[in-house]
Amino acid sequence: MFNYNFRWNQAFNSLPQMLEGALVTIEIAVLSMMIGITVAITLTVFRLSGNRFLSAIATTWVEIARNTPALFQIYMVHFGLGGFGIHLSPYMSLLIGIAFNNAGYLAENFRGALKAIPDTQTRAARSLGMSSGQAFTNVVMPQMLRIAFLPMTNQMVWAILMTSLGAVVAMNTDLYGVTSELNARSFRTFELFAIAAVIFYLLTKAITLSARLLAARLFRY
Amino acid sequence: MKTGILAFGLSAATVMAGPALADKLDDIIASGKLRCAVVLDFPPMGSRDADNNPVGFDVDYCNDLAAALGVTAEIVETTFPERIPALMSGNVDVAVASTSDTLERAKTVGFSIPYYAFENAVVTSEKAGLTGWEDMKGKTVGATAGTYEAIWLEGKVKEWGEGEFRPYQNQADVFLALSQGQLDATVSTMEVAEANVKSGNFPGISIADKAPMVPDYVALITLREEYGLINYMDLFINQQVRTGRYAELYKKWVGDGEPANLSIPGVYR
Repeated sequence: MFNYNFRWNQAFNSLPQMLEGALVTIEIAVLSMMIGITVAITLTVFRLSGNRFLSAIATTWVEIARNTPALFQIYMVHFGLGGFGIHLSPYMSLLIGIAFNNAGYLAENFRGALKAIPDTQTRAARSLGMSSGQAFTNVVMPQMLRIAFLPMTNQMVWAILMTSLGAVVAMNTDLYGVTSELNARSFRTFELFAIAAVIFYLLTKAITLSARLLAARLFRY
Repeated sequence: MKTGILAFGLSAATVMAGPALADKLDDIIASGKLRCAVVLDFPPMGSRDADNNPVGFDVDYCNDLAAALGVTAEIVETTFPERIPALMSGNVDVAVASTSDTLERAKTVGFSIPYYAFENAVVTSEKAGLTGWEDMKGKTVGATAGTYEAIWLEGKVKEWGEGEFRPYQNQADVFLALSQGQLDATVSTMEVAEANVKSGNFPGISIADKAPMVPDYVALITLREEYGLINYMDLFINQQVRTGRYAELYKKWVGDGEPANLSIPGVYR
């Protein structure tokens, strides 16, 4: 039996603080995506390079990022590196942890996208006198990013939701952190987390909708 | 004939009155089971022994309460933030979980009278080398999220306007961060601080000072409207102190010395 009387006024009073937290959540998600995309492109280039050492780095990164829980990755950035005397703030630990995870997943998305681009395009570009680097940046990469665009918005949504894992590294300024501190004060658990859930929903919905609009504009043929 | 009518009337009254009046106290007695939320990473109040059984002051306290009610106790492990959802969703009947009785929380849950009171200690890492609680100003400090001392410490950091506050999810992470040097100091209850410094799991930490807070009075909690149960818990706590069981449990789990005075001079309740 659910034995609870919902009383919303106390929780609604905390809304401004929660919205501030939502801004931090967006900030982390956006930054982590920017870092993640940059690293993922680098990892993709490493894999294409044919250099065994570089592609081993890329494979290890992708394997760890995709096959261990994000919670573990974030925890290890904070406490694992902490054991070696590298002390990162909760904000940095969370950002790096999510960026690490993003890079792994995105690199795999990019690999899939590359598979969809016929080799003949690279050959055509090379035959026009482009270097292999030019062929990649001017011909292949734009198409790769286009094909991987929707998976990238998925990852962005995932990044927003992953910010809630910051709790394990004592993050207290993001949406989840703010909500759980408010909860410790007033014990209005269900109201506060219901509001947080709605904010999370609106954030991710806004991301997917704007991504769809952006895609419609960017990828018009 | 007359007794027949009387018997009928009585049973009818019971049938009608029974469900309408049954409150949590009746439910517990009827079910024969008292489910207590206890935090088990909070020694000596709650922890697990070598065989993974829950032990500690709070565990014994729950068992005593169950014995008084004539039912069996069931310990449900929760974290500090999960106490309230556990209560509200009906997974537990009461929380015997060192819950500080703040006025803000009393708007949401029902508190008994205090059953224990903590002194808080400032624990520092050797690297930071704090000597008094004032040294925490401007440092990176942390505490277990959702606790009274965390709320106090965060307030202090805001008041000082410098330094950083970090709420970790559990006590073990706080001491791990302290031992690694990620935190310069933490505030935790004297009992927990001593147990963790003594355990040797976290090298390089020591107790620097007492925290200048009013004693952290903790109470049993249940739903706000369960007056019958709250009343019973009040009397139960009174009896625990009266019969010397409180002092006995203190000696068993905390050690020699005087258990904290649970009454406040000059005021009722």
